[in-house]
Amino acid sequence: MTPVIARRTRRQRELRTAYLLLSPTVLLLLTVLAYPLGWEVWTSFTSLSPLQEGATTFVGLENYRRQLGDPQFWWAATVTVAYAAITSVAKLALGLGFALLLARPFRGRALVFLAIFLPWAYPAGVSVIGWYWTLNPPTHTAYAPFMGHVKSGVDSVFGGGAWAFVSVILFNIWRGSSFIAVLLLAGINAIPPELFECALLESKSAWRRFRLVTVPLLKPFLALGVFLSLTSAFADLANVWMLTAGRIVFPVIGTHAYWLAIKAGQYGPASALSLTLVPLLLGVLLLLFRLFDPPEPEAI
Amino acid sequence: MNPKPWRAKLGHRTLVLLATVYCLFPIYFMLVQSLKTPQEDVFGNPLIVMNPTLENFEELFERKGEVRGFVGDALRRSYPFLDWLANTLVVFAGSVMATLVASVAAAYALGRLRPPGFRWWRRAIFATYVIPQTILFIPLFQVVNALGLDDNLLALLLIYPSMALPFCVWMLSAYFQHLPREIEEAALIEGASRATAFFRIILPMSRPVLVAAGIFTLGTVASDFMIASVFLLSGQNQTVTAGLGTFDVALDELAGVAGVNLLAIPVVMISAVFARGYVRGLTAAMLEGA
Repeated sequence: MTPVIARRTRRQRELRTAYLLLSPTVLLLLTVLAYPLGWEVWTSFTSLSPLQEGATTFVGLENYRRQLGDPQFWWAATVTVAYAAITSVAKLALGLGFALLLARPFRGRALVFLAIFLPWAYPAGVSVIGWYWTLNPPTHTAYAPFMGHVKSGVDSVFGGGAWAFVSVILFNIWRGSSFIAVLLLAGINAIPPELFECALLESKSAWRRFRLVTVPLLKPFLALGVFLSLTSAFADLANVWMLTAGRIVFPVIGTHAYWLAIKAGQYGPASALSLTLVPLLLGVLLLLFRLFDPPEPEAI
Repeated sequence: MNPKPWRAKLGHRTLVLLATVYCLFPIYFMLVQSLKTPQEDVFGNPLIVMNPTLENFEELFERKGEVRGFVGDALRRSYPFLDWLANTLVVFAGSVMATLVASVAAAYALGRLRPPGFRWWRRAIFATYVIPQTILFIPLFQVVNALGLDDNLLALLLIYPSMALPFCVWMLSAYFQHLPREIEEAALIEGASRATAFFRIILPMSRPVLVAAGIFTLGTVASDFMIASVFLLSGQNQTVTAGLGTFDVALDELAGVAGVNLLAIPVVMISAVFARGYVRGLTAAMLEGA
C-alpha cells in the first residue's frame, strides 16, 4: 500500500470510530428530545385534545394566530420576558460581584467559596419545597405572621399573587447567582495574572481596569452564563408552579402552556404556545456562539 | 499603592460577610426548622432552635405512623423513605455515570477525531437547550410507555442525562480539542493504539474537567422536580424529590424539611469535596477555547 492510501484508510477507520462514539449521545437526544419535539411541532398545527370526541383535524397556523390575538398570551409573554430579564441581570451582577470578591486570596477564602457554591449545589428539586414552605409558611409556624406581613405588603403594592412571583424571582436569583459566580471565578482564574499586573501599571482607575481588561476577557464566560440563565428562566415551569402552588396570577409562557394542556386539555394551542419562544432563544444562542464558541483557533 | 488600604480591606470584609450570609441563610433556616419540636415550631423563635431534636428525621424512617400529640393516626402518613433514598441513589449515580460515559465518548470523537462538521455537531447538541421542557412530558410519556418504562426508575435514567449531556459534551470536547496533538502522538509512534493512548494519557489528564462535568450533572439532576413527579407515581418507586413533593404543607412540614436536609447533606458533601476540581475543570475547558 502506498502511504497515501494507508493514511486514507486510517482516516476512514477514525471516522467510523468517531460516529460510533457519538452514537450513544445522539441516540439518547433523539429519543428524549427529537420525537417529543416533533410531536409538539405537529400538534401545534392540529386541534388535538384528550377531551375532544372525534378526529383530530389539521388547522394550520390557527393555533399560533389565536395565541397572537389573545391578550393572555401577551400578558404571559411580558411576564416571561420581565422574569428572564430581571433574574438574568441580577444573577450576572451578583455572580460577578461574588467572583470578584473571591478573585484575590484572603484568609478564609476557601470557606467563603464553599458558602457561595452551596446555593447551586444544594439540590434544588427539594430546596424549592423548603423555599415554598418558608415563603408561604403553614399558618401555625412561628414565622408565619412575619411572612404574612411581607406577603400582604408586597401584594398590596403590586396586586394579588405578586409575593408568590417575587418569591420565584428570589429563588431563581439565589440559586443562579451561585452558578454564575463559580463560572466567572473559573473565568477569572483563566486570565494570566501578568495581564492584571500590566493593567495596574497602565491605569490607576479600578473601574477602567475592570471595564477594559476583566470584562473583555470574561466575555465567553459571561455569554455562556447569560445563555444558561435565559434558558432556565424561559423554561422555568417547575419552580413557578411549585412556588406559587399553581395559583398563578403572573403566568409565564411555561405555566400558561402547562395550564392550557393539563387543565384545559388543549394540546394544540399549548404546543404552539410553548414553541413561540424557540426562535427567540435560538437567535440569542446563535449570537452568543460567536462569543463562547469562537472560530477555529488554528485558523488565526 | 492603595491610598486607604484599611478602608478597602474593611469594605472587602463587609461584602464577603454579606455574601456569605445571603448564600447560607436559606440553608441555615431549613436546617434550624428541621431540628425543631412541633411546640417550638409554633411558639419558638423562628431563627434559632433551643432544644434541637432529631425526631423529625426519625419520623421519616418510621414505616408506621404513630399517634403523637394532637394529630391522630388517621392523619399521619407513613413514608417509605428508605426506598426513596435508595431510588435516589440509583438514579443520581446512574445518571452521572451514563452522562459521563456518553459525553466523554462524544467529546473525544468531536474534539480529537473531528469528523467533518464537528463544530456544527457540537453546536447542534448544545442547541438542544433551547427546546422548552414545558409540555414536553406529554409526548415523553408516550416514549416512556412505548419502552415499557412507566413508573420505573429507568425512565429517569433515560431522561436525566439528556438534561446535562449538551453542556458536558460541549465542555469536554472544547477541552479535548485544545490538547496539543503531540500528547497522543508520542504514544502512537511507540505503537500504542488510540484507545490505549486515550485511557493511559488523555483520560488521567482530564480529571478536573471530568469532575466538573460530573458535578454539573449532579447539580442538574438534583434540581429536577417536574420529571420525577410526573414519571414516578407509586410510593415505593419514587425518589426523595418526588416523594417530598407529595407531602402536605400543614401536616408534614417538619418531617418534610428534615427530608430536604437528608437529601441535601450527601449531595452537598460530594459537591463540597469536588468544588475546587469543579472550578479548575471549568477553567481548563475554557482556557484556550476562549
